This record gives sequence, structure tokens and C-alpha cells, in this order.
Amino acid sequence: MLKSYLKIALRKLWKSKGFSAINIIGLAIGLATCLLIMLFVLDELDYDRYHKKADRIYRVDTDIKFAGNRFISAVTPDPMGPTLKKDFPQIEQFVRFRSAGGLLLKKDNENVQENRVIYADSTLFDVFTFPMLDGDAKTALQEPNSLVLTATTARKYFNTTQAVGKSILIDNQHTYKVTGVIKDIPPQSHFNFDIFVSLATLEESRRNNWLSNNFNTYVVLKEGANPKQLEAQFDALVVKYIGPQVRQFLSASLDDLKKSGSHVKHSLMPLTSIHLHSDKVAELGANSSIQYVYIFSAIAFFILLIACVNFMNLSTARSANRAREVGVRKVLGSLKTNLVKQFLTESMLISCIALVLALLLTFAMLPYFNDLAAKNITLDFRATPWLIPILLLLVLITGMLAGSYPAFYLSSFKPIQVIKGKLAGGFKRSWLRSSLVVFQFVISIVLIIATIVIYKQLHFIQSHKPGFNRDQVAIIHNSSPLGNKARVFREEVVKLAGVENATITGYLPTDSWRNDNPVFADPTLDRKRAVSMQTWDVDHQYIPTLGMEMVAGRNFSKQFPTDSSAIIINESAAKMYGFDDPIGKNLYFIRDINHPENVSTLHIVGIVKDFNFSSLRQHVSPLALMLGDNQGNVALRIKSKDIPHLVSQIEKKYKAIAPGAPFDLTFMDEDFNNQYRTEQRMGAIAISFSVLAILIACLGLFGLAAYAAEQRTKEIGIRKVLGATVSNITAMLSKDFLKLVIIAALIAFPLAWWVMYSWLQDFAYRTHISWWVFILAGLLAGGIAIITVSFQTIKAAFMNPVKSLRTE
Amino acid sequence: MIKIRDLEKIYRTEEVETVALNKISIDVKEGEFVAIMGPSGCGKSTLLNILGLLDDPDNGSFLFNNIEVAHFNERKRAELRKHNIGFVFQSFNLIDELTVFENVELPLIYTGVKSGERKKRVEEVLDKMQIMHRRNHYPQQLSGGQQQRVAVARAVVNNPKLILADEPTGNLDSSNGNEVMTLLTDLNEQGTTIIMVTHSEHDARYSHRIIRMLDGQTVLENIMV
Ligand SMILES: Nc1ncnc2c1ncn2[C@@H]1O[C@H](COP(=O)(O)OP(=O)(O)OP(=O)(O)O)[C@@H](O)[C@H]1O
Ligand SMILES: [Mg+2]
Repeated sequence: MLKSYLKIALRKLWKSKGFSAINIIGLAIGLATCLLIMLFVLDELDYDRYHKKADRIYRVDTDIKFAGNRFISAVTPDPMGPTLKKDFPQIEQFVRFRSAGGLLLKKDNENVQENRVIYADSTLFDVFTFPMLDGDAKTALQEPNSLVLTATTARKYFNTTQAVGKSILIDNQHTYKVTGVIKDIPPQSHFNFDIFVSLATLEESRRNNWLSNNFNTYVVLKEGANPKQLEAQFDALVVKYIGPQVRQFLSASLDDLKKSGSHVKHSLMPLTSIHLHSDKVAELGANSSIQYVYIFSAIAFFILLIACVNFMNLSTARSANRAREVGVRKVLGSLKTNLVKQFLTESMLISCIALVLALLLTFAMLPYFNDLAAKNITLDFRATPWLIPILLLLVLITGMLAGSYPAFYLSSFKPIQVIKGKLAGGFKRSWLRSSLVVFQFVISIVLIIATIVIYKQLHFIQSHKPGFNRDQVAIIHNSSPLGNKARVFREEVVKLAGVENATITGYLPTDSWRNDNPVFADPTLDRKRAVSMQTWDVDHQYIPTLGMEMVAGRNFSKQFPTDSSAIIINESAAKMYGFDDPIGKNLYFIRDINHPENVSTLHIVGIVKDFNFSSLRQHVSPLALMLGDNQGNVALRIKSKDIPHLVSQIEKKYKAIAPGAPFDLTFMDEDFNNQYRTEQRMGAIAISFSVLAILIACLGLFGLAAYAAEQRTKEIGIRKVLGATVSNITAMLSKDFLKLVIIAALIAFPLAWWVMYSWLQDFAYRTHISWWVFILAGLLAGGIAIITVSFQTIKAAFMNPVKSLRTE
Repeated sequence: MIKIRDLEKIYRTEEVETVALNKISIDVKEGEFVAIMGPSGCGKSTLLNILGLLDDPDNGSFLFNNIEVAHFNERKRAELRKHNIGFVFQSFNLIDELTVFENVELPLIYTGVKSGERKKRVEEVLDKMQIMHRRNHYPQQLSGGQQQRVAVARAVVNNPKLILADEPTGNLDSSNGNEVMTLLTDLNEQGTTIIMVTHSEHDARYSHRIIRMLDGQTVLENIMV
């Protein structure tokens, strides 16, 4: 029986090749997209699950509100880890990480900059699962100055993974010993490092300071322990340990702080949630967002739906053609169920063929998709055999979804209706078909608008004046190897023809160091008049080099020796203090938290115009500049036609002072744009998906238009006899489809506005959704629809009316 | 009004070449009512399509109101056609999705008549054909005779000088057929030229002249008294 169904189905497919091709190609693109996104989502959901104790590992997070600012961070004070283990029996183990920035590793005679470096407790391997290739996990990170390398890094420095016992010169001064080599960390990790340095190396790890938060602390709970119950005891922990230090250093009680609206809270973040749910300060790496998983899943679903809709539409549209067949079969005694089975066999066959094509397409598109999504996804059925039943299920569902309506619709024809020809006029009146086309175009138009708005926002970011001039600024990162000769280097490079100015500091408006501290407006250090702000050590050339503007007062100047205690604050800080005239006013600041008795008195000499130093997602927060000696980077304002030549001149001077040190120069505008990679990626992905969605929708429209023209051959002939011109006919046929696109646009506009409005709320600095976005999207969708339909309508309109009437 | 000389039309398909019109020459004067008769396949419809400017001949000359139109392109033919010629077909060829009123209105839309004027003229002609009461019905709700009356109404709504009818009574019973023939005769008496293809000697008797065709040529002409 099945064999005969299949045979007929195959014959039918072959007979109407055009329609079959449209169905199969549309469905294949839909399935391939769906599959790609499914792989992407699975990959996202799979982060950090490879750790054996993954579901018992939690990160301790901190939520601090102090002096008007709030920090929700992934770091804790240094004693948090050990204290938790000591005080709570349900904690099996803890491990702390301390970010290191970069290190210089000596390889042969070269110094190599390694950025994926972290300090970690020796308990690292009790918590996380990193298989050791060489060395002893128990002891590897116990001694100060010991290192664990990943296999790749070990090979890079020693050409072997058996590197335990070897030593490496770091930052040109300290010798570290390799005590372990682990397998490379899987890419599906929320942190990814090449080098782990023993935390014992850092004095800071034993400081017992509850007021500074610099350590990413992870704990493993014992089997069966309840994280909620543990979390509930954190408030008591704050009182017990942070309370005394608050009194000591801030001469206030926790209750006082609470009354002025401040708080300190800790919470647990499950390891497996970090990648998709955590976007806090001081993450160990950039995380993704569950939002993207939702958005992509929705898109996958909708694209597949568009493809199914094509299928349904084309099959029902052709129902009139098959009505005779159905009528004859019924007269011959075929049961309704037989007919349903026949039609479902056809749709299953189509979706099976489509799946095969989809798999080929997926393999072909995977590299591009990986590029686009910055992923390393593979489609390997040996690694993920469970994907096969899922795919088969997908085919089954698609086949059912696409085939059921036509099957039931067609098989319910009454033979008498068919013979009387009642169904011939059915094309135009099918509201279902029309609403399905409208539905497809709603999705397409929403995607087009989303794409335009994302790109508009990207353009807005790129052209936004952030309060500093990022063009023509070169940055030498990690210039600490210059040591005390940094100033000499500055004097030297400024002499170069293309260098206009240079400044030495670790603090830049683009990604770099940050330093947050309370600054008091009152010598008694009254908390109420404190503003928590960025305090950056810079030099005299900082403001002119980066092209910042003063709105009041002046820049630091060598003519004023008292400027060693001068401070420049930004507009937003000035507003928070609420001085009538801030210039000349004093601010009070504890430079070293370990010596709270040493209060520096600083006088305000100027107010700098607000500049963006975090992403444009946030408003500019308070910030202060002070003269200091920080050698993190060198920023140069340059003006040269021959940039490569200038860069090589700068490098020569750099190497002359710091031989063997890596020279890492980037341009500030690129660094700035890099902060918006996610958005750029989203834009590219959105564009690809809208193109796909529209492509599939158009395929369907193409088929429908062909069908409409075919159905109306006679009508077109009559109209031509009565004097209709080619353009009359084309307009008439296109109008029907255009009407649908217009309805779709009217539905899509508010929907798209709402979606994109919500997205833009993530940005403190954002573009607005102007009316032309909607017009453009509408015209685009309408234009594409018309072009698609025209292929068919123009063909139909040129038909010789004598011939079309003859077909009667 | 119509003067064709040595007109040829040859259909070429992959295997065969059919000479549908073989150097045919015919004259039709303004105000005449001409019937064309002949066995099936002798080229009557082909001739009518060419006379109606729906198709172009392969050879020969075709003067329409003293203008040579044999080599007119599609656009020019359409222009001439929609102002001068009305068609009535055996199978009515009404558009199923349009009402009686809308069907009759179509030629006026294509010649660019304003909507107020259109309404007036359609109502006038529907009145004359006595199907005014059916104006909002769809073709499938009408009998064959009624449908053909709508088709005639549609053919004359533009006041064409020439009406071409291809077996207008072929699908009708004799009483409905006679009704349509009376309509055509009335139109002819009001000055419209009519060329009609028919298989019925009875219908042919309504005409002034019968042209008999065989294998793409005229073989005989009877003048009716
Ligand atoms: N499009 C075409 N392609 C090929 N041959 C054609 C075509 N149209 C007509 N013919 C042939 O031309 C000849 C004349 O056809 P035509 O339709 O003019 O005959 P007719 O006299 O109207 O016949 P009937 O009385 O049956 O309507 C026939 O032999 C027909 O087969
Ligand atoms: Mg004929």
C-alpha cells in the first residue's frame, strides 16, 4: 500500500517539477536555517557543562551600593572564599581567581605578551575539571611562582606537553616554574585561559580586606546541599566580617550606611547559568545573553514556519487542479482516509528530500555561520547521534504541518462539486491563503526593520562624539617594560614628525584600567557628601592628546607646582556634588585603603566635558583625573600620511628603550568599535536571516503568482480581447499581492517598532526609530514582492488572448 | 469598412503545417450583416480573430476603414480594437469573479471612460438587453441565454462600429438562440456592422449575405433577399 502511495507521490512530484522545486528548495532553506540555529542554541546551552561537578558549582557575586553608585559584580573580597569554607560545612571546596592583565613570557630571546593569564588557588582542580597531562593536580598551584599551562601553550614554549619542572622568565625579572600541563580548555567555557599562576604568588591573596572586591570566587557545594539556604546566611556574613572593617576604615556602622541607602549583598550564581545570564562587572570573560538564544530560536521557528506556509499555500492553490483527480478517485470508491494518506505521503516525501538538501546546505553554510556567530560549531552525527531522531522528528512535524491542511482540504471535496466546476474560482477567495501570505510578510518586514534599526544604531555609535577625539590616536598597550624611562620615551616620540602629542597612563576611555573610589566633599569624610567615582592617574598631556574639552577652569599645568594636589572632575561629578562654582573647592580622598588615616586634600582646577568611558549602553558616570604616575599605556596623537612608516619609527624608539618587549599598537577608533562587536555580529546575523526569510517568502510568492496567472489565463484572455493592455493586466495581477504586502506592513510596523524600541532601551545613547525606516522596509518588501510576482504576471500579460481562450 | 486581399494564415507546429487561411479575399461594407459558414476546421474562427485584430496574418493585406492594419503591432491593434470592435463568443467568456454589471463595465474601463458615465452607459445597455434586474448577479447564477445577453451587452456597451460573433448561439437552445439573433438584428438595424460565424442555416438567414468557406478559402457567396 505504502509503495503505491509512494509511487504515485513520486510521479506527482515529477509531473509538476516547478512547484516541487519551489517547495523543496524553500523547505530545505528553512530546515537548514533551523538546523544551524539549533546547533547554535545547543552550543550556547552547553557552556561549562563538561565540569564533573558543574551542577554543584556556584560563583559568589556581589551587589554594592555606595555613595550613589551601584556595582553588581562577579568579584568578592579576598577572604570570601576561605571564610565560606571555614564557616559553612555544606561547602566542599572553593577557588579564587585574580585577573592579572597580561604577562611577558620569555621565549628564546623574545618577550611574548600573554593576555589569557589568571592567578588561581591551588584548589582549582578540586572545583573545575581540567584533565592534567603532566604534573600533580593536588600540588600544582601551591607554591608561589608556579604555573600551569594548557597543552597548546606548553607546546608553544617547550615543544612538548611534558613541561613540568621547566622554568620561564616572566616580565623579564622573575623565574616561574611549570608545575602542570592541562588539556586545552574547551571553547564552551565562560572563561578561557592559557596560563594559571599560583595565587600564593600574590601578597594580596592573604590581605583579609573585606572592603575591596577583586577576586572571582567559586564554590562547590556538597552533594545535596541547598544553595538557597546558603545564600540566606550571606547577610549575617556581611555583618560579621564586613561590619567591623566598615567601622574601622569608614568610621561608620553598617546600619548608618544602610540608612543612607547603601548596601552590600552577596549571592550565588550557578556555573551553568553564567554564560547566558551574567553580565556583571569584572566577569572573567565576555558572556553571551539568553536574549540571543530566545531571539534566534524564534527566528528559526518563524523561518521554518514561512517555508511550511509556502508548502501549504502552493498545495491548496493547486487543489483546484487536483480536484478532478480527487473527484474521480472518490467516484471510484476511494475513502477519505486513503486520500489523506496519499497527500501526506506526498508532503512527507517532499520534506524528506528537503531534509537531505538541508543537510548539504547546512554543511555548506556552517563555515560562514561560524564566522558570523564567532563560533566553532560542527555537525557530526558520530558525536551527537541523538541529533538524528530529532531531525527525523523535525521532518515528521514539518511534513505534517505542511501537508495536513491541503490533505484534509482536498480530500473533503465532494465529487459533485468538482464535476460542476465549483472550485475553479476558488483562488481569489481563499482568505486562509491570503492570511498566510500576510503572515509571511509580517515576519519578513519585521526582520527588515530590525536589520535597519540595528545598523542605524551601529552607525549612530560609530558617528557618536563621545567627548574625546578617537581619530588619529595610536595606543601602545602595556608599556610597563619602559619602566622609569617612560618619560624619556615620550620626549623621544614627540620629536617625530607625525606625532603631535603623547600621554602616559593606564586609564583610557576605551577598554583599559578602571579604578573606582569614594571621593568626599567634606574633610570629616561625611558619607552623605561622597561621590563614588572613577579616579584616574594621568599626566599633563592627557586632555590635549585625547582631544577632550574643558567646560570650566583649566587643564593641569607645569606652571602651577601645587597641581600635584589638583583634581579635574567631569560634568557629571560636578553635578552630583552640587557646588555653585566647583573651581577652587576642595575634595578629600583616601589614596590607600590600608591607610585610611592619610587623607589627601585635592583642589578642583577644572571641569572636563563628559566623555564616554564605558560603553554607550551606559550614561557617563562621575570621574576624576589626578596627576599621577601610571604607565599602563602610551597614547599618541598622530598626523601623518604614511602611518605604517610612522608606526615603524615609533616601534624603533620603543624597542631601543625596552629591548625584547612586545610592541602592541592599536588605533583608538578600532578599539572603540571593538566594544560593539556583539551588535555588529547581531546586525550581520539579522541581515542574513532577513534575507533568508524574504527569499523563502518570495519563493512561495513566485509559485503562487505562477499559479494565479495559470488559473486566470482565461480571464486574462477575455480582458485582453476587451482592450486591456499588458500594463493593465500586470497591474491587476500584482495588485492582489501588493494588497497583502500592505496589510502585512500595517501589522508589522507596530510590532517591529515595539521590538526594536525595547532593544534600544539597552543603550543610554541611542538612535531613534525614524519614520523612514518603516517606509523603506515597506517599499523594500513591496518592491521585492512586485519583482517576484512580475516574472509571472508579465509572462501572463503577454500571452496571446486567442491562445488563452482556445484552452477553454 | 473591411477589405482583405490574399490573406494567409499558416499554423506551424512541430510536425505539421496547417494552412488555416489560403489567400482569402473578402469585403464587408459598413452596416452589413454577414454570416460565415463552413465545415469545422475550415478557418472561420481564424478569419474572425484576424478581422477582430486579435491575431495577425502571415501574408496579404487587411484594410480596416481604409487603414492597412495587417502589420500593426500588438499595442496599435489593441488601441484600434477597443474603440471599434465588440466580440460575442460561443462560450460567452464572462469573468466568473465579476458581477453582470462589472463584466459589462470592463470595456469602458479599458477605454478610459469616467465612472459616472460608465454607470449610465452600462445601465442603459443592460436595460436594452432586459437584464437590468440581474445586474448584481454572478455569471454562474444566470442561464445560458441570460449569459449570452450579458456578453452581447458587453460587446455593444462601447458603441463599436463592428461586432464579431463566433457561433453566438452554439451553446443555446432555439428560443434563447432566437432571442440573441433578434438582438443582433436590432443592433444591425441601428447601424452596427456584424460579422457572424455560424453552423446554423436558420441563424444565417438573419444576415444579408452568407460567405461559405472551405479549406481556408471562400467558395460561395449567397446574397439574402
Ligand atoms: N493555434 C493553432 N495551432 C495550430 N493549428 C491551429 C491553431 N489554431 C487553429 N489551427 C488549425 O487551423 C485550422 C482552422 O482552425 P479554425 O479554428 O479557424 O477552424 P474553424 O473553422 O473555426 O472550426 P470550428 O467550426 O470547429 O470552430 C484547423 O485545422 C486548426 O486545427
Ligand atoms: Mg471555430
